[in-house]
Amino acid sequence: MTSSVEQHPLGRPDTQQAGGQIALVDLLDRLLGTGVVLAGDVVISLAGVDLVQVRLHALISTVREEMTQR
Amino acid sequence: MVGQGRYLYAISRDLDPAALADVPGLGGGRLDVLEHRGLSAVVSDVDLEEYGEEGLRRNLERLEWLEEVARRHDEVVHAVAEHGPVAPLRLATICLDDIGVRRRIDEWHAALEQVLDRVEGRREWSVKAFAPRAAAAQPAESAAPAEGGAAYLRRKKAETLTRAQGEEQAMQVAEEVHARLSAVSEASRRLPPQDPRLTGHVGTMTLNGAYLVDASRGEEFAEAVRAAQADHPDAGIDAAGPWPPYSFAMLEQR
Repeated sequence: MTSSVEQHPLGRPDTQQAGGQIALVDLLDRLLGTGVVLAGDVVISLAGVDLVQVRLHALISTVREEMTQR
Repeated sequence: MVGQGRYLYAISRDLDPAALADVPGLGGGRLDVLEHRGLSAVVSDVDLEEYGEEGLRRNLERLEWLEEVARRHDEVVHAVAEHGPVAPLRLATICLDDIGVRRRIDEWHAALEQVLDRVEGRREWSVKAFAPRAAAAQPAESAAPAEGGAAYLRRKKAETLTRAQGEEQAMQVAEEVHARLSAVSEASRRLPPQDPRLTGHVGTMTLNGAYLVDASRGEEFAEAVRAAQADHPDAGIDAAGPWPPYSFAMLEQR
């Protein structure tokens, strides 16, 4: 995902198509909770742009906590 | 030991597992609905080699992997939304087993109930606005070869001022559009503007708004969007949706 030609499909919203496929960048905005600033371990980049830093320990804390309980 | 984990997609209520029979989970896995304390958790098995701490660290940086998981997660959330209120989980929320899932539900129970009450019968719309692109800047040298130093500085100052005024105006338009749309929504949020290199848009994104709209007010919301578009034809106002209420159902996971 480095050429500029390939970047456009990421951002094409489903404007004309109610309820259609959500643009990946919009989806990640939401699924990774970029509404809050995350101090992170992993930086997710699309097309060379840092999209979001994911607090990995928050994502996987569930598993880790359970692992240590057993 | 690395084995199977339970990937948690979404929480709903009174969800019939048959409703998800034709929807594949990650890696083609079967979706299960776990009932616990009046809530329905949608889960499927995932390989902890791929979804454990090390796997996630590695895989989250691979765009193809990330997109595949995000798309699958979204499809499951969409399918659940067809049948009832949905509280989508953040990407890659993984428990070791069903006991772990139930423990999480116990922990988040009150918050989950609140989220489901808030989003029931409502969908999310995204509305974006942009600052009109300023006229292409003229290289100073070619624009005015004979220009004196003082005239050059005056012109640069005027250009800077005009640009600043343009940005200020665009921000005001964004505020106003957001206020109008918020007035016909149950809740609203402004997400950070997106990078044009990701979206291919031209100009500065001034509004990346998310609006929780009640089913009964869909037409009213659409009308408000059309009115904003008519009032601000240069702002590139763009609406997309309806989507599951992602921006209004995220649970804080600490």
